[in-house]
Parts: sequence; structure tokens; C-alpha cells
Amino acid sequence: MTLLERREVARLGSSRFTVPKGFITVVVSTAALFIVCTVFARSSVSHGALLGMLPFASVLAIVGLGQMLVVQQGGIDLSAPGAISLAIVIVSHQPNGDDSKLLPAVLLALLYAVGTGLVNGFLVGRMRMNSIIATLGVNALLYGFVLKISGGTPRTTTHRLASIAGGTSLGIPNAVYFAVGALVVVIVLVKRTVAGRRFEAIGANPYAARAVGLRAWQHRSGAYVWAQLLYCLAGILLAGITTQPTAYEGDSYLLPSVAVVVLGGTSLLGGRGFPVATVIAALFLTQLDQFVLALGVPNAVQTLVQAGALAVGVAIYTVNWATVRARFANRLPAVTAAG
Amino acid sequence: MNKRTVRSLIAVTAAVASLTLAACSSSSKSGSGGSGAGGGGGSPLAGAPSWCGSKKVSFALLDGFGGNSWRLVTTASGKAEASKCPSVTNYYYADGQGNTQKAISDIQGMVAKGVKAMVVFPDAGKAVLPALTSAYKAGVITVPYRDFPGGKAGVNYTQYISSDPARDADNWANWIKTNFPSGANILFVSGPPGNTQGVTEHDQLTKVLSDPKYKFIGDQPFSVTNWDPSLTQQVLTANIAKFSKIDVIVSDFGPSLVGALPQFQRSGRSIPALVTSDGNSLSCFYEAQKASNPDFKLMTVATGNDNVRLAVQYAVAKATGGVVPSSTTFEAPVFEDSVSKKPHDVQCDKSVPGDVYLSAQMPGSQQAQLLKK
Repeated sequence: MTLLERREVARLGSSRFTVPKGFITVVVSTAALFIVCTVFARSSVSHGALLGMLPFASVLAIVGLGQMLVVQQGGIDLSAPGAISLAIVIVSHQPNGDDSKLLPAVLLALLYAVGTGLVNGFLVGRMRMNSIIATLGVNALLYGFVLKISGGTPRTTTHRLASIAGGTSLGIPNAVYFAVGALVVVIVLVKRTVAGRRFEAIGANPYAARAVGLRAWQHRSGAYVWAQLLYCLAGILLAGITTQPTAYEGDSYLLPSVAVVVLGGTSLLGGRGFPVATVIAALFLTQLDQFVLALGVPNAVQTLVQAGALAVGVAIYTVNWATVRARFANRLPAVTAAG
Repeated sequence: MNKRTVRSLIAVTAAVASLTLAACSSSSKSGSGGSGAGGGGGSPLAGAPSWCGSKKVSFALLDGFGGNSWRLVTTASGKAEASKCPSVTNYYYADGQGNTQKAISDIQGMVAKGVKAMVVFPDAGKAVLPALTSAYKAGVITVPYRDFPGGKAGVNYTQYISSDPARDADNWANWIKTNFPSGANILFVSGPPGNTQGVTEHDQLTKVLSDPKYKFIGDQPFSVTNWDPSLTQQVLTANIAKFSKIDVIVSDFGPSLVGALPQFQRSGRSIPALVTSDGNSLSCFYEAQKASNPDFKLMTVATGNDNVRLAVQYAVAKATGGVVPSSTTFEAPVFEDSVSKKPHDVQCDKSVPGDVYLSAQMPGSQQAQLLKK
């Protein structure tokens, strides 16, 4: 066995037990954030504050999982805000306060989600349109439906939805159970089924995948349908959590949905997805919001802290630190030589 | 396609023609009509409200952004008020849909249509002032209301009908004084950072409650919520955790708190006193929660859907020659008070949706009909 072969075997052997870099980073950052919270703004980690924060983290986690599936296929889904808002408008407008009409409304929302996913999937997967342009257009289309259904005027959610999405069971907000459920479904589908393994392979290299006979475009389109279903679930939960939602509630989820995927370590170029890390990243971002609110700093500083944390998080993955180090290492002897 | 274009063209031409005729006929009538009680040269009409003169006019109501249930009720209230005056022969409505350019072209379009009076909600503020000014210069009675567009009455428009956030704050502050004579920790939440309504209210609150026993907690001048229910919930969560004692919450948009207030119970505390603006969902929330929250008291001022009625009265009076209302400020009355029960106890009507504003003149059932559409 040559040295190279031995090294290869060793690498393959150890890779089974390797925890992805993104996972470690996000877990360490989140743990660090909670420590910082305990030291500087203890109130933000009190029982009540955590109970208030978790439902929003859950909603963001579900949206992030949807976005992750699309990003795994090398795409990006800018229709998330429209999809969330549409789900909210359908489940609050159709029943108009009447609990008995809630279930048909939820089914209708899911129907819209599948339809939207198919449109996105067809445009990007089949027609090979640029995902930014296609999904941005579909987002505008979805807001058309939002206005058509609601006239821009929101309604109060039904009591049943408010108690399901906003309530707690065994001391934990119900939304958390939904997020964990979504996480388990995504993990099982992507990591434990043949179709899921193909899905990741196609995302990593669609040309190679097609060369070995995988149906690339079907998988790529499928990502958009699954993503829409997850956005829809997030929207329904958000309608229940806020009780009196606006018709544009989804707007604030565009940037965070992409941010949690990137913070979770999934490459924007596609390939392997990190569902658990994505969910933890959602927890990180939401707790960060809660932290700056608890600090009591001016509104402008709050926004700056959030943006700064995001920039640092994204820089960890996107900047090639080895090259940066190498450049500084090369420059140092040159300086000493000159001096 | 072509046929449709032709048809719509015919329709538009017919509409313009009829309008022109209406305008001509009204001006000829007014010549013989009147003594000129207002600015329009008509006289008060018998059997109609005093602000309704005899001169026939077409009238327009313009929204900068018509997209919420409050505006829906407000728009319908404006229409109902205008319909009380038989001299208003044509009624038009336009919604700027939050688009400043559309709001401006709506104003210009109404001038071109030949309306004699218009009431405008200038959501875009100073951006629509030039359009208002040119409408005023073209001889249209122009009445902006609720949002101040800058400029001056008599130069840029006929009259600005203001709401009075300071008076709301005054009512809130006095209630706090009466119900918390030995002092209180007060949390004030309002909309986007620096919004004038919030700042005006803050100034008045701190003026009336200047005694140091009243402590304003949280961000100053107010905790920013953007009037968004999600953010409101997060802001309230942070403040509940931070301050072990919150006695009163002051909010200028009550219904957005319904989803957030249960955070108190989750932290094992009673919902505190709340002074705010009214909404059926909030009142019904109070009814459902008051038994399990001993500290929960509710006082509301009217949300002010009827602000538009005063603006309509003013504009129509000026245009038709009716008696012009003496006040140019809409003063929202106190609506509910769970402690003194005056002028009303908390009004929850479970038979109508939560988005109904029972403080408005328009009955709740009628508002519910609007919301069904």
C-alpha cells in the first residue's frame, strides 16, 4: 500500500465519524450566544423569554428547511415571503373567525402551496430559468393572490388555530413540535431514502447525476414543491402565533430564510444539506433578536448588531481563510527582508 | 381585445360627458341659489344636515393606502357621511395602494374628472403636497386629514382636519393618574422608529405624568413595534423578561397586542392594565381573560374611524355652501373603561368579527358585512 493509498483509506475511514464543519460552527456560536446572553442580558434567557422566542425560532426553522432544500439544488427561493403571506391570508380569511371552516382553509392553503411549487419547479427545473428571476416573479404573483383574497385587509385568526399554534404542551410551545416534526421528516427523506440520496447527488453535480441516469430535473423541481409545503406550514403557524396577522407578514422572512441556510453550512452552490444545523441557526438568529431587544440599546444599534453577526457568520463560510492566512504568511517574511 | 378597448373608450367618453354636463348644470343652479354661507356660494339645504348646502357637487375620497380593515371601515364611513347630503351628486373613491405615484395621479385624475371637493388621506405625507396644491389652485376644495402633509391652509389646500394624538395621550395619562395614584411602571409601545404620532403621544404622556413616581420603562421615547404583531410579541417578551414589574402598557394600536399579551401568563404573571385604542378582538380578549388575570384593566379611546366624517363635512360644506364645522380637529372620545364603566364598559360583540371597531358610528353588523366581501 502506497503512502497515498494509506492516507486515502485513513481519510475515508475517519470521515464516517466527522461532524460537519458548519454544524460545529453553528453549535459553538449558539452556545456562545447563550453564554453572552446570560452575562449581559440575563432576562433574555429567562423561562418566559425563551417561551416567547421559541415559536418564532420554530417558524424560521421551518422556512429555513424549505429554503435549504432549494439551495441544495443550487437554486434560491425568493418566493418564500409571498408563500408565507398567502398561507396566512388563506387560513385567516377563509374561515373569518369560524373554527369549523379552518380545516378546509388549511387544505386550500396546501393546495396553493403545491401549485406554486409546481410552477417554480417547472420554471427552474424544466425550463432552466434562473431561480432568482423565476421565484421573484412568482413571489409577485403570490402577492397578487394575497391582495385578491384579502384586499390587503387581514383578519383575526380563529381561536382553534391560535390555541394550536400559539399554545403550549408539556411546557413547550406547540410550534416547537411542528418544527421538530418538519426536521425529522426532512432528515428521513433526504438522508435515509434512496430518493433523498439521489436528491443530494443531483444537487452536488447535476451533470454527473444525469450521466449516471438520474432524473435530474424531476428532483430539482421537487425541491420547490417541498419548500412551498414547508413555507405553508410556517405561514399557518405564524397566523396562529400572532393571532392578528397583517397581509404582509412573510416579508420579514426573506433574508433570514437564506441566512439560516448559509449559517447552517449548506453551500449556495448546492449539494449536501445540513438540516439540524439549519434549525440551530434559526434558533441562533431569533435569540440574537431577543438579545438585542433585551439589551435595551437604541433601535439603530439593534439593527447594526444583527447585521454584524450575520456578516461574521457568513464570512466564516464564504471567505477562504486558508488563502488569507497564506497571503499574510507570505507577506511577513517579505516585510522582514525589506526591513 | 380591440372590441373591449372600443367599448371601454365609449364608456369613459360617456362618463366624462355626463360629468361635464353635471358640472355645468350644478354651476348654473348655484348662480340662482345662494347667499354664500360657506365658500361655495350655496345655502343650507332643508331636511339635510346643516353642513350640506344646496349647490350640487361631485365629491371624491382618496386613500393613500386602503389596505386594512380600519381603512375599509373608514372608507365606508366617509361614503355614508357624504351620502347624507343630497347635493353630492357623484361620489368617487380611489385607493393609492401604498404607491405614492398612484396616490398623486389619483388626485390629478379627480381634478381632471371635475370633482368640486376632495378629502385626501395623505399617507405619503409631503410627497403628495404638490398634487394637493395644484388641485387647490385649480379651484377644488381640498381637505387632507389625519396625516399632516406639510404646507398651509389657504395656500396649499383648503383645510387640514387633524386627529389629535396628544389628546389620546392626555386621556391615557389621566386614566393612569386616577387608577395608579401612588405611581406606576409604564411601558409605551408604538410603530416605526421616530413616527410623529408616537413621539407626540410620548411628549404628552411624560408631560402629564411628570411626577417621578411614574416611571417610563423600556426603550425611549417608545418601544419600536412597527405596528407589526410579530415584532410586538417579541418586544413584549423581551420587556416582560427584563422588568419584573410592569403596571401599565400604553399602545396606540391595541388589537396588535392580542397575540402578545398571553406572554404574561406564560411567565406566570397577570396581564397588567392596558390603555390603548379600541378593537372588537381586543375587547373580546379582555372578556375572556379578565377572570384569570386580576390586574388586567382595559381603557380605550376610539380608534377614530369617524375622523373622516368631520373631513367630509368640512369639504362638502365648503363646496355646497353649507355651514362649515367650527372644529378642524377630530377629538377621539374615550370609548371603554373597565374600571369606571364610563362612558362604556368593555364592549365585546361575539357575533361580529374581531376586526370590527365598535367605537365607530357605523354599526358593528354593517362593518361585518363590509368585511365579508
